[in-house]
Amino acid sequence: MASTISFLLDGRTTTVEFGHSSIYSPTTTVLNYLRSLPEHKGVKEGCGQGDCGACTVVLAEAGPAGRLLYRSVDSCLVFLPMLHRKQLITVENLRHPNGDLHPVQRALVDLHGSQCGFCTPGIVMSLFALYKNHPRPDRTTIEDAFAGNLCRCTGYQPIIAAAQRACAEGNADQFNKGEEATLALLNSIPRDSLRLESAETMYYRPAALSEALALKANHPAGIVVTGGTDIALRVTKNHDVLPEVIDLSALDEMKLIAEDAFSISIGAGAPLNDVMPRIHDVFPSLHRMLSVFGSQQIRNMATFGGNLGTASPIGDALPVLVALGTTVELSSITGSRRVPMQHYFTGYRTTVRRPDEIVTAVILPKPASNLITRSYKISKRRELDISTVSGGFSLRLNERREVESIVLAFGGMADRVKRAETVENFLAGRKWNRETVDEASSLIERECNPISDARASAEMRRIAARNLLLKFWCETEGLEADVESVVQ
Amino acid sequence: MSNQSYSETNESADLHVTGEAVYVDDIPVGGQLLTGRVVISPYAHAKIVSFDLRDARRIPGVHAVLAHADIPGDNQMGPVVKDEPCLAADEVTFCGQAVFLIAAETEQQCREAERLIQVAYEPLDAILDIETAMSNDSLMGSHRRIERGDVEAAFAASDHIIEGELRTGAQEHWYLETQACLCVPGERDEITAYSSTQHPSETQALIAGVLGIRRNSVVVEVRRMGGGFGGKETQANHTACWTALLCRATRRPVKIRLFRDDDMIMTGKRHRFLTRYKAGFTGNGILEAVRIELNADGGAATDLSFAILERAMLHADNSYYIANFSVTGAIWKTNLPPNTAMRGFGGPQGTAAIETVVDRVARFLRKDPAEIRSRNFYGTISRNTTHYGQTVENNRLPEMYNQLIRSSDYRERRIAVDEFNATHEFYKKGLALTPVKFGISFTTSFLNQAGALVNIYTDGTILVNHGGTEMGQGLHSKIRHIAAREFGVSLKRVKVSATNTSKVPNTSATAASTGSDLNGMAVRNAAATLKSRIAETIAEVFSEENRSSPTFASHIVFEDESIIDGDHPERRIAFADAMPIMQHRQVSLSATGYYRTPDIGWDREKGRGKPFHYYAFGMAVSEVLLDLLTGRHKLLRTDILHDTGTSINPAIDIGQVEGGFIQGVGWCTTEEIKWDENGRLMTHSPDTYKIPTVGDIPQDFRVSLLRTDPNPGTIHGSKAVGEPPFMLSLSVWLAIKDAVSAVAGHELEPEFSLPATYEVILLSIEKLKAKTLKEASL
Ligand SMILES: Cc1cc2nc3c(=O)[nH]c(=O)nc-3n(C[C@H](O)[C@H](O)[C@H](O)COP(=O)(O)OP(=O)(O)OC[C@H]3O[C@@H](n4cnc5c(N)ncnc54)[C@H](O)[C@@H]3O)c2cc1C
Ligand code: FES
Ligand code: FES
Repeated sequence: MASTISFLLDGRTTTVEFGHSSIYSPTTTVLNYLRSLPEHKGVKEGCGQGDCGACTVVLAEAGPAGRLLYRSVDSCLVFLPMLHRKQLITVENLRHPNGDLHPVQRALVDLHGSQCGFCTPGIVMSLFALYKNHPRPDRTTIEDAFAGNLCRCTGYQPIIAAAQRACAEGNADQFNKGEEATLALLNSIPRDSLRLESAETMYYRPAALSEALALKANHPAGIVVTGGTDIALRVTKNHDVLPEVIDLSALDEMKLIAEDAFSISIGAGAPLNDVMPRIHDVFPSLHRMLSVFGSQQIRNMATFGGNLGTASPIGDALPVLVALGTTVELSSITGSRRVPMQHYFTGYRTTVRRPDEIVTAVILPKPASNLITRSYKISKRRELDISTVSGGFSLRLNERREVESIVLAFGGMADRVKRAETVENFLAGRKWNRETVDEASSLIERECNPISDARASAEMRRIAARNLLLKFWCETEGLEADVESVVQ
Repeated sequence: MSNQSYSETNESADLHVTGEAVYVDDIPVGGQLLTGRVVISPYAHAKIVSFDLRDARRIPGVHAVLAHADIPGDNQMGPVVKDEPCLAADEVTFCGQAVFLIAAETEQQCREAERLIQVAYEPLDAILDIETAMSNDSLMGSHRRIERGDVEAAFAASDHIIEGELRTGAQEHWYLETQACLCVPGERDEITAYSSTQHPSETQALIAGVLGIRRNSVVVEVRRMGGGFGGKETQANHTACWTALLCRATRRPVKIRLFRDDDMIMTGKRHRFLTRYKAGFTGNGILEAVRIELNADGGAATDLSFAILERAMLHADNSYYIANFSVTGAIWKTNLPPNTAMRGFGGPQGTAAIETVVDRVARFLRKDPAEIRSRNFYGTISRNTTHYGQTVENNRLPEMYNQLIRSSDYRERRIAVDEFNATHEFYKKGLALTPVKFGISFTTSFLNQAGALVNIYTDGTILVNHGGTEMGQGLHSKIRHIAAREFGVSLKRVKVSATNTSKVPNTSATAASTGSDLNGMAVRNAAATLKSRIAETIAEVFSEENRSSPTFASHIVFEDESIIDGDHPERRIAFADAMPIMQHRQVSLSATGYYRTPDIGWDREKGRGKPFHYYAFGMAVSEVLLDLLTGRHKLLRTDILHDTGTSINPAIDIGQVEGGFIQGVGWCTTEEIKWDENGRLMTHSPDTYKIPTVGDIPQDFRVSLLRTDPNPGTIHGSKAVGEPPFMLSLSVWLAIKDAVSAVAGHELEPEFSLPATYEVILLSIEKLKAKTLKEASL
């Protein structure tokens, strides 16, 4: 077990030690770490909670096919040990060694992409990640790349133009040239389990699942962290001390995505951005939900394990997973068990998971060809907003267009993900037409008892839930699903 | 030099993109730096019964814990009216009000100390909305009135009358860089504050005030802000004063940078308004008589509310001539953070009121709203005086309307939108054109002044200091350009220094869009002084060399990096070569410049005069697509035509237009401030407070600047551009309303407020549907 972490920064292997005299704790965020270094003040804090992207940095790691994989992340949400065996790239690193601006920087300068400049380091890094991953991106891809970066000055138009210009000419930069050397440096850092101790925190980062399960058994109160996008807020916003942390982000076993004839099993530790391309064709409704889940930076870290671990009533992935008939795999040192997703939740942020268990995978059965599934998310703002009301629906009709089976799962309408069972029962066996659906939607209003909060009133939530059922019907009639499809 | 415009990139752009640009929190300080923290009131209104700081003071690493009694000078930070204590004394009047200050070696120690502060509060009744303030007669200052004609008589004579109420919401500035200040102690009582402030001179004055020292002991410096938008015009003073107090108490450098949520909780916002209106009009839609009553939520202290209300009242006409017009206004005192300046400064609220009126008139008459708007525009020869008596000179509205209607294909798209709406049950489109006429000048007339200090060094480089601050609006880039043009040299020669109160004293805030108008003129005046000195000396030199035909100083020109005798172009000297000569001949290469706006004057009491140096005009057409089932809209296209006179830097101006417009779109759509029943901010983080992202901008965004004559009497013929485009976002708000209205075939007036959130939209649609059903069943 190692008690230090190592990563690449500024072209060198950097080692950080923890301990009682260190100014860093294992729950120090990468943002605070960088800002403690005189030469890395470029990274900015705009919110400290994953919503503005001013703190965006890029992490490179050894990916498949011996290439480096570049991911943008919000450094305010990343704990230092998560850097282990990665390259940390900041805005200060982009200039060519000869002093020239990087193409993404050049484009932002030439096209007036900065005004006050405070968002700009984050914009630069998101654009750099786009540049490395998407030659010649279309407008949707560009918008998606910046959905996690707020700029209050420019109105984004010049930033979009800069992205188009910078990404037009391939992605050959000095990082490509140095790729082999970087990989060699990264691979020279041992794949150790980490045991990091500081005055207030004991932080474990096991390198194997069996080890993680043993840790969880011995430390049932240990707080599990996978992507950290949720847990980090306890540190940055609530200023909680986390006494015992078990970080699962190094576990390759938990990142596996496996497919057979009947199902797809998704590791609970796979970043959502890795999940998306793998489910795009089989589960378009899930893909659609993930495409409006947080931002690039969030999805590069966030996982299903965390979404199920938080078990929030507005967890975006949950309703559609319920509608898809997902089972949850829970593991402990004594073995694994599978629980149907809808029985997994027991109340407000409570689940059947025992303290010695962790979520290791979700298993999605491949849908029959006549199963219609859809997901919907209603939020105040489309990009980077948690849902006010969400829906995951699935439907099977017989040849007379009568409802053979239906699942209507809602987020944001109760203390947990809620299946509108009265409505489902009402609809079962009936003709799937406008009249039935109108009647059914009035039942939804009665079945749910949502709350009023900062996002919306209960009344609005009821209207929205009702409308979603109508929208689902519209889609089964071949009408447009959203404004985007109307535009096309 | 020719009068052509340049679009040089922002003078700091290379620093922005490399992360080398320095903001307050990035300034290197030695190891002695302490972190400051502000302890705030959890109550909207309460008596402070007692408190005990002893335990907090005992925490190791804590160097100071201060309460109001520890303030050596005045416990006061009110910028205009002295009604804002620096630290609450006996009473707290809003949630988020500063009560204690802590300085410690680490943030964690600050928090520990905070936990150990014991305070006993006795909660009192709180006023949390405008209606309650009205019924409690909780008025700030007095009622204001600006009137022309006889409104009552004109109502009686009007063909039609409409009446209604409009609510416009508060808006958080959401500058990316939160409030921040670093104070460094000097000798004796000297102190230097590196503050993210739009108003260094006021920050200096207030720091001196709370410390009880003289202003010549305080230096305030601003390199740049990470956004201001009005939120750092007065309220940056607060963080600066708190930091200064901690610096004085500990004699060590202290920095306070507010965490985002704290910033949102503690600072004031754009004023929310409750507006009541009544309008009488002809069958052709000509406004005959309008009465508008503006009620602003001032929050717990005055701040700039009087001036903001005044600007709202002066913009309640927007672009329309209204023969009989009565605008009244009041500021209501509530137990919320003091509301403050924000881009537009009351203009948006006043404009929203009259735009609602015109929109309703058009719907009432079943006429195209753009058409009704143009019928009511100010005229160019007649119908061209405002309700406060200023003539609308160089009125560009009719010309811009004709251009924009054509370039945006407004008429064709109106037809297309109607067709779309006829064939879609679950989606509707909306289209709207709105104009803006925005008065440029501080309405507090004496503030319209500026100073500059220009130094030339003997290597031929120029350092420009001026009173304006850089917050992203490109002021320093424009100033640099102005200076380079005045001296006929390339930009490389010119640097603009950080704004510093020891170089240019007693300045006004960088606000009211006047930054480059005022400071640009001051720089030009300083340059003029230097140029005449240089011309005289160089004329001497040339004349000594050409005794037969002397060079006249008045014929010397500065161009192409040279100083040239206009009569004998072969007599020239490179700019840089001339400067050592100046030194040898003992002529000063440093000069100040000063400027005050001429010809303005405003009688507040009578509500009459010429408050504005000139008007800036703009116009926008926006089209939205609305999903009736989710309340989500998509901004399909916006065309903007904006008047910036002869632009000094078109790229910067277009950036201001786009950025201002999008900020306005936020105010009009997704930015919703909510307080709970205890006066606590519910939307206190970006998690629930949603400013526009990249996906919220028009899919097709066409911005152009009006080709026009130079604006008379301004720096290089330009016009101010910071605020006016904000108002153009009302085109989006009204386009959404147009789409909602299509649900009932434009037969009914939708209930609507601002912002048009998904919730407002869905509820409005529900009500329209219910009404339509009811009418159908009758
Ligand atoms: C800016 C921002 C935007 C966001 N947007 C969205 C959004 O659009 N939709 C949405 O649903 N959520 C959103 N979230 C919340 C969060 O990103 C998701 O809940 C995400 O799925 C959490 O995954 P994680 O791996 O990062 O979780 P972590 O932070 O690592 O953990 C979250 C919780 O789950 C537990 N946990 C983690 N892994 C496991 C495991 N394997 N087994 C058991 N318990 C586990 C942890 O102990 C913790 O309680 C957002 C968060 C932020 C900060
Ligand atoms: S600081 Fe805003 S996302 Fe990290
Ligand atoms: S340039 Fe100011 S926030 Fe983007």
